Amino acid sequence: MSNTVEIKNLTFSYTDKVILDDLSLDVKQGIFVGIIGPNGAGKTTLLNLLCGLLRPKTGTIEIDGTNIESFTVRELAQKVAVVRQEFVPVFDFTVAQTVSMARTPYLGTFGFMGRTDRQIVHDALEATDTGIFASRILGSLSGGERQRVFIARALAQKTPILLLDEPTSFLDLKHQVNIYDLLKAAQLEQGKTIIAVTHDINLAAQYCDVILLLGSDSSFRYGYTKDVLSVEQITKAFGVNIYSGKVGQEHFFIPLGKHAKDSEQANKMQDKT
Amino acid sequence: MTEILTIKKLAVKVCIGLVILLAVMCICTLSGTQKISLQKVLDGPGQKPGENIDYEIFVGYRLPRVFLAVLVGAALACSGVVLQAILRNPLADPYILGISSGAGLGAIIAIISGMTWSLWAGSPLAIFAFIGALTTVWLVWSIGHFAGRSQVTSLLLAGVVVNAFFSAVIMFLTSIAKSEQLRSIIYWLMGNITDKSSSVLLAGTICITAGIICLFSISNRLNIITLGEYEAKGLGVDTEKTKILAFTFTAFITAVAVSLSGLIGFVGLIVPHAVRLVFGPDHRQLLPLSAIIGGIFLVIADTLARTIFGQEQLPVGVITAIAGGPFFLILLARYTKKVSWSK
Repeated sequence: MSNTVEIKNLTFSYTDKVILDDLSLDVKQGIFVGIIGPNGAGKTTLLNLLCGLLRPKTGTIEIDGTNIESFTVRELAQKVAVVRQEFVPVFDFTVAQTVSMARTPYLGTFGFMGRTDRQIVHDALEATDTGIFASRILGSLSGGERQRVFIARALAQKTPILLLDEPTSFLDLKHQVNIYDLLKAAQLEQGKTIIAVTHDINLAAQYCDVILLLGSDSSFRYGYTKDVLSVEQITKAFGVNIYSGKVGQEHFFIPLGKHAKDSEQANKMQDKT
Repeated sequence: MTEILTIKKLAVKVCIGLVILLAVMCICTLSGTQKISLQKVLDGPGQKPGENIDYEIFVGYRLPRVFLAVLVGAALACSGVVLQAILRNPLADPYILGISSGAGLGAIIAIISGMTWSLWAGSPLAIFAFIGALTTVWLVWSIGHFAGRSQVTSLLLAGVVVNAFFSAVIMFLTSIAKSEQLRSIIYWLMGNITDKSSSVLLAGTICITAGIICLFSISNRLNIITLGEYEAKGLGVDTEKTKILAFTFTAFITAVAVSLSGLIGFVGLIVPHAVRLVFGPDHRQLLPLSAIIGGIFLVIADTLARTIFGQEQLPVGVITAIAGGPFFLILLARYTKKVSWSK
């Protein structure tokens, strides 16, 4: 079954401000999409539209040819799992309890799990290395550990599509890479479609197959990572000088402001383009 | 993964709880200012009226009262559990959305106007309190819905405003009440368990049990709703529908409990907390265990209330408040510490 996500002529606005204007794109099953762009460009809005929390003003979003508005909340939760920025729940649920909640869209009223559900939860805990603290409460974990738990939950939800909203903000370098490795593994081993909103252009460059670059003027560019991530595009979208270099296959980008030590480097790059 | 709840584990815990509840009920029914012996009570059935005083006290007076205490304790505790989940606020209680002041206003109007009729064995006091409670919840719900996007906050604010206004009206009515009415008003406001006719008890039992069963049926969804609206929808839970169901059922069982016993405080706050501390936050077991432990707590409190000063009976609300106040403070300290630590 192919679970292509098709966005057709999508427009969305909050009362008077147009956020997304006539956005159309196809996301093929099994690819890793990075959504980048400046604050207010509509990255999170697009994510919320994709998981059915917001409704488009015009246009449609289809999964496997079906408009997502015709899914029930439960059906959609079997197609799309969402990971947001990590947070501490109000009540002291354990890691295992939290991950088990992922099975809700497949279970009856009381959500008691069967053998297969337990196996799925177990596998998700193993895949994310969270099994070792399965019986600890979420509040007692570090931010990076907690985010891994939420990713475990998303994996246990067994959806073809995984949405992430800035999954690595507030995490240190090691944990950032950790999370992206996990996601890449889920993409390669389980064939999941991964759509991640991120502010980290360099991680996006290293991990994403395609990039959706949203501009603050509701323009957008969608294409292969190396085509979209160029100094010119990024400078235009973010309005900041960029120094770029190359490691192996991909470019890296360093934003350099007026008072940055190496701001001249960025200016030189700017002149070249 | 031993801590994942299964039907079997839940059933075992609930059964153990029920056995303890029955034991406590027996002990509390046998104790009182008037000593009665178990032997005589067991001999009771079949004897002529007036022959066996012990049996008559047991069946006619104490048993209904103990039964009522269990019922009210269970209803308040369950209501507290659910409201804490829906409002995502561990300090919520059954009265947080203004139900207490609404019921209070209804009760005081009934007392002051001195009505004496009865409807299906319900006294004007109970019926007015019930109507007052439900009207207030409806009012708070509509104001909250009308006022705001961020539903939880606007609901809580609406609750506070309505509570404040009705409390002012209650104070006004209390100040113009006749002195012989004052005692019943105060006892009602403090929460007081007294004898009720068996038909009232039966109606109450049916209503509260049905309400608790309905709440239990959404208990798994409550778990997920405590993570927040977005998270819950992402996990396939229809949050709007669940919230409306939860509010309706809690309002109903709280209104029934309040109309039977007045405003008994703290049960709905401390029982859910104590159970959560011991058994964890899974609502599928939190709800039934809170019902049982709420019942146990209120039966013991009421037994103390009717025995501690000999013939003079205290309103049970005094006991729950004295026991609950310090507990609440400890809880508050613990909770604030946790919040500042996690930020």
